[in-house]
Amino acid sequence: MITLPLYPLGIIEYTGGVVVIILTFMAWRYSRRLMTEDPENALWLFLNWLAIVFFVFSVSHLFSHFIQDIIRFGSSSRLLVMIRRVLGGVDSVVYVAIATITLFFHSIRRLYQRMEQDHHHLEETSHEILALNREMEALVMERTMSEMALGIAHGIRNPLHVIGGFSHRLLKKTDQNDPTRAWLKAIAEEAKRIEDMVERFETLAQRKSSFFAPEDLNEIVRDTLELIKPEIRAKNLFLIAEICPDPLMGRLNTHLLKVALAHLLRNAVEATQPRGTILVQTRQEQQFAVLMIQDTGKGMSADVVDKVFVPFYTTKIGGTGLGMVFVRQIVDEHRGVINLDSKVGRGTTVTIRLPLRFAEAPGVSEPEMPETPSEPQASPSG
Amino acid sequence: MYRRLAQVFWGLIFLVLCSPKPSLAFDLLWGTQGSYVHQMAHLAFGLAMVFLIYEIKRGELRGMPGFRSLVWACGLLAWWNFDAIVGHALDWSLTNPIIMGHGVHRRLLMENWHTWGVYFTKITHFLLLPPAFYFFYRSLRRFSRGSESKAS
Repeated sequence: MITLPLYPLGIIEYTGGVVVIILTFMAWRYSRRLMTEDPENALWLFLNWLAIVFFVFSVSHLFSHFIQDIIRFGSSSRLLVMIRRVLGGVDSVVYVAIATITLFFHSIRRLYQRMEQDHHHLEETSHEILALNREMEALVMERTMSEMALGIAHGIRNPLHVIGGFSHRLLKKTDQNDPTRAWLKAIAEEAKRIEDMVERFETLAQRKSSFFAPEDLNEIVRDTLELIKPEIRAKNLFLIAEICPDPLMGRLNTHLLKVALAHLLRNAVEATQPRGTILVQTRQEQQFAVLMIQDTGKGMSADVVDKVFVPFYTTKIGGTGLGMVFVRQIVDEHRGVINLDSKVGRGTTVTIRLPLRFAEAPGVSEPEMPETPSEPQASPSG
Repeated sequence: MYRRLAQVFWGLIFLVLCSPKPSLAFDLLWGTQGSYVHQMAHLAFGLAMVFLIYEIKRGELRGMPGFRSLVWACGLLAWWNFDAIVGHALDWSLTNPIIMGHGVHRRLLMENWHTWGVYFTKITHFLLLPPAFYFFYRSLRRFSRGSESKAS
């Protein structure tokens, strides 16, 4: 008959037991660190509870086996038997506790995944906002410089007209032998030279528009609608697009206008119930291109409408409250105007008016050309 | 601290192995209400570990650092629990095993498959736990390092 020694069992039992206690204690320390770093993280909370209960398990399990071994191979007193029973009960309770905490992971996993998704969404949105902000800053800087350049050129040109015009007149009236004639000639020539320089400078300032270029607003609207159509179809909404038959050419920034338009359309899609309608209309009113987005959604109260353009104000869960702020800034940079009309339960209408001639004249926001002195202008160059 | 723990540990082993009274049989526990509760607790623990693996797989979290080690820990703990159920059942139903010798020289007579079963499940009972908890510890270490690198 084969006999096997019992001492290896004891060695494995106690070595393994102590190793497990050390490992669970070290694991608990890591879980504690995670909890300290981010106490609101559901996954860390779960792991911390699991580490605690595993540590309790490792201690109670080893101790329970130790008592059992004493009873089996040593003395068996009533007290030891009672301790063994109590520890057996503690073991069973700990196992059930482990099972209970583990079942909680089902909810934790969903929370964790939602948290991760929100985190990614927030990161993406932050990057988009940062990129948009940079673009807006560059745009504002360029158009400010362009406007300043045009303004300065305009300011210089008028006195130059006067100097040039009067010097030419004086030259005509001055006798051929008059010694001041040479001086007048020099003044007229230099005035003409500066005038030519100003003209070239003005042409350059007007041409330098990497951000604004002659674009058809209708095309921008059509492109954006193509982009949003899948979302409109997915929500089972009706889209009515009334695009102006004539091109609405203006100095526009296609990318930024698409961003603004897409944001407004997405807002309309979110607010409108299935089988609702979204109307997108473009038309020309005098010197303005008008873009209207109307939905049959839930609408907004007057209080909300007042705060729509306030930074960080949002009614959406997870919203940044910056979307509409950017929309208004984009419209502002086009020297346009945005109006919002909304009634609770009836829907919202957003109207954007963009000047078609913007940036073509020095007084960008003014459609009329400013007045120039009549007399010198009649003969600026002779 | 670890040195003191080791001293206590080896002292306890010495006490258990070297100064026992002769014992002819293991206690019979099988059949009591507590034994059923304990077996069911093992079953709940084992199933919970399987459930955790399923949830990690379902949530496609397995590829993430930390979760991979957690899956291994759960797998080993599930195995340990099912092994414990079998081990306890065999241990508690083993009647009058023959133990020869005294102290550290005690030997178990392997008279039938039942005795073999008890002997090997007792070995696996404590052999499976260290790697299982090592993976659990490694999982938490990975989570902690991942969290630190994210924070920096």
